Amino acid sequence: MNNTALSNEDESFWDDDARILCDVERVASVRLSAVANSIDQDGYYPADIMGELGQAGAFLPHLKAYGERFDAAINNMSAISRHCGSTGFITWCQDVCGLYMELSGNPALVNRMTDHATGITFGGTALSNPMKAFTNIEAMALKASKVEGGYVVSGTLPWVSHIADGQCCGAIAAIDNTDGSRSHEVMFMLDINEEVKLTKCPEFSGMEGTSTWALNLNEYFVSDAQIIADPARPFIKKIRGAFILLQTGWAMGVTQASIDACREVEVSLGHVNQFLHNRPDELEAELKDLHARIMQLAKNPYDTSKEHMLDVLDTRAQCSELSLKASQSALLHQGARGYLMKSKPQRLIREAHFVGIVTPAIKHLRWEMAKLMSEG
Amino acid sequence: MTHSTEPWRLFICRACGLIYDEAEGDPDSGLAPGTRFEDIPVDWECPLCGVTKTDFEPFERPQISAAPQTVAFSKKPGIVVIGAGLAGWSVIEALRKDDADIPITLLSACKGDRYHKPELSVAMSRGVSAEQLVRESAEDAGRRLRVKLITNAFAVGLNTARHELRTTRGTIEYTHLVLAQGSKPYLPKQLAADTCWHVNHLKSWGGLEKTLRAGPQRVAIIGAGMIGCELAEDLNKAGHHVSLINRDAHPLLALLPPLAASCLVDSMVQQGIEHHANAHIAGLEKAASGESYIVLEDGSKLAYDQLIAATGLQTDNRLAKQAGLAFDNGIAVNARSLQTSEKNIYALGDCISIDGVACRFIEPIAHQARSIASSILCGDQQSYEHVDPVIRLKTRAMPIVLRGIPKPVGIWKTVTQNQQQLVMEQYVEGEKMAVLTMGLSSGSEAA
Repeated sequence: MNNTALSNEDESFWDDDARILCDVERVASVRLSAVANSIDQDGYYPADIMGELGQAGAFLPHLKAYGERFDAAINNMSAISRHCGSTGFITWCQDVCGLYMELSGNPALVNRMTDHATGITFGGTALSNPMKAFTNIEAMALKASKVEGGYVVSGTLPWVSHIADGQCCGAIAAIDNTDGSRSHEVMFMLDINEEVKLTKCPEFSGMEGTSTWALNLNEYFVSDAQIIADPARPFIKKIRGAFILLQTGWAMGVTQASIDACREVEVSLGHVNQFLHNRPDELEAELKDLHARIMQLAKNPYDTSKEHMLDVLDTRAQCSELSLKASQSALLHQGARGYLMKSKPQRLIREAHFVGIVTPAIKHLRWEMAKLMSEG
Repeated sequence: MTHSTEPWRLFICRACGLIYDEAEGDPDSGLAPGTRFEDIPVDWECPLCGVTKTDFEPFERPQISAAPQTVAFSKKPGIVVIGAGLAGWSVIEALRKDDADIPITLLSACKGDRYHKPELSVAMSRGVSAEQLVRESAEDAGRRLRVKLITNAFAVGLNTARHELRTTRGTIEYTHLVLAQGSKPYLPKQLAADTCWHVNHLKSWGGLEKTLRAGPQRVAIIGAGMIGCELAEDLNKAGHHVSLINRDAHPLLALLPPLAASCLVDSMVQQGIEHHANAHIAGLEKAASGESYIVLEDGSKLAYDQLIAATGLQTDNRLAKQAGLAFDNGIAVNARSLQTSEKNIYALGDCISIDGVACRFIEPIAHQARSIASSILCGDQQSYEHVDPVIRLKTRAMPIVLRGIPKPVGIWKTVTQNQQQLVMEQYVEGEKMAVLTMGLSSGSEAA
């Protein structure tokens, strides 16, 4: 599957969504299932498996160069998350990082895209802070100053995922005028090298294998070859909906895994589980509705209309609510065995919590919807 | 520095959001309570994420806009009403009158305070503020009527199969849903929302009132419908120089015959209001001097200080569209039951349409509210009877009362015309469609 994929010169090779999804599902079910707990709890960063997923075509369908099929990208991410939410999350990181490269229009970055899209190189996104800053939830953490041939950037971001030495992430820094007022923001590809200080984060309750670090920049030089967008805001406005919509694949995968966990014990516990609420059929019906809504939105990923944004935000919020409800139900369905520390429902609950709190968190989504709605 | 006399300050970690409170210090890292931010050593680290002092910035507590609890918390789904205008509160009053216990939740995009909306087009000359127009706060009404309030919140999604309403403050279940969301200003494409005022709700009216309080100003009102005409007189009376920009030849074109309309124009002109007939807006312009202008299609310009859009209303179709509710110029409801195309979802007030016609008047709302209450509580689904409301134009110099809705093809006949009064009747094929009374003597009736 993988090597032929790489050597294949036929441009139509990546057109077959069903084959890609099938290959992705195979890698996920064979390789990820076995190590999901180790990724979640022991901090095993599945770079090797990410490479295989990349070669199966998991990270490319949403890119313009590969036909801009957001539906296929979301379904791939969902298939991965069904076996490991952490890997699903870094799949999202990888997917949006690919978007930054491609949409930057910067030849130096566009040239890096093919390797990134096929999982030869990896990269994440450090946009949690600026996304919140742009909707007035918090202040910008990175500051840039113009210098010959680029910018120098300083500041600290507390947790950035899917980064490591030799990898990269999209980041945004603010440029202030001499009087302290804000001039604009610049978006750039932050290449992680010896100039970047990565500090181990405090231990999380789960998702430990996402290679998440506190990132400190001290006069880090950003060259023109790294610029994604300057100014950053029009770029962010364009990709914001797509950025958020892609995450739904991850959330749906966690939800599907929870439904699977409910069903796994149906033979042995169905006679008592029938008295539970949020039964798998009910959860699955809601997931099916939600999936249909998401596939519809995925047809116009760059629609910046208010209507579309509201739908994307609301869908993403519903994804969080549903994954929380489903993972909780998974534990109740599995009963005592779900209460074992290393059980699947325990991991699913931690993953669903992350779905609910990562940017954009449920509260951010609602904040932003309220803001959009009150703008007339 | 006079450290000891200044109030304690807060600083937030830009990286993780931890707040350093000078009053509390950080005893675990050796900072005693009362340690000023300036006095924190440079090698001190954020106790949560490890960044240094330079990543902290001053922090002020943000305001929280959620409504206080008015009823004991209950998870039980009940009736959910969307919209805290006259329509929403009327339904709640009607429901509570007949059932003391049924749980009711009110979802409102604003604070939800109760006021009488028709006053907004005549209140400026009375010199009152937005606060003074509030007849009962949402909190007081919520306690009195035992309604759970979800305010400053928006409905963003509706799933009729699961009876779930998705809002910006969480998802709520309902047994019955009542849509009383009103309508929003319709703005022609030449007018962006941030360039003009409207008086469609108290908050916007309040903003205009505060701005106009500064002293006499040049106010341009776009649109010479009922609101435009009432507002023109009100603002003129309040001491402002008013220009009424009318795209038609006459004000209230759909309602008034030319004779009556010209009496109204005469009355406005006498008061000092400029009426610009057949005036089509090409765009807005701001001169280098800062002066704002309306540019008309004939090239003429009109300077203004404040611009008000009175260009009509439209119903937001987002929720209806999402839930698959029939929508036809408004949320389509059954004329007898006020049910939407979904059985347990009702609608009333400005947001509805009956047979494709929107009805944006106050008078029917009380009847609609009682009918919905009786349908929900008693299952009586035939209790509403729609009649065309009596239209009253609150132009005090020239009050107008119109009974019946005039038809475009109708023929107007003058019944009485003298110094005090003009009475006209409209006929279509010999049948009387409408009676129009305007003039001083009808003042008491039109008040």
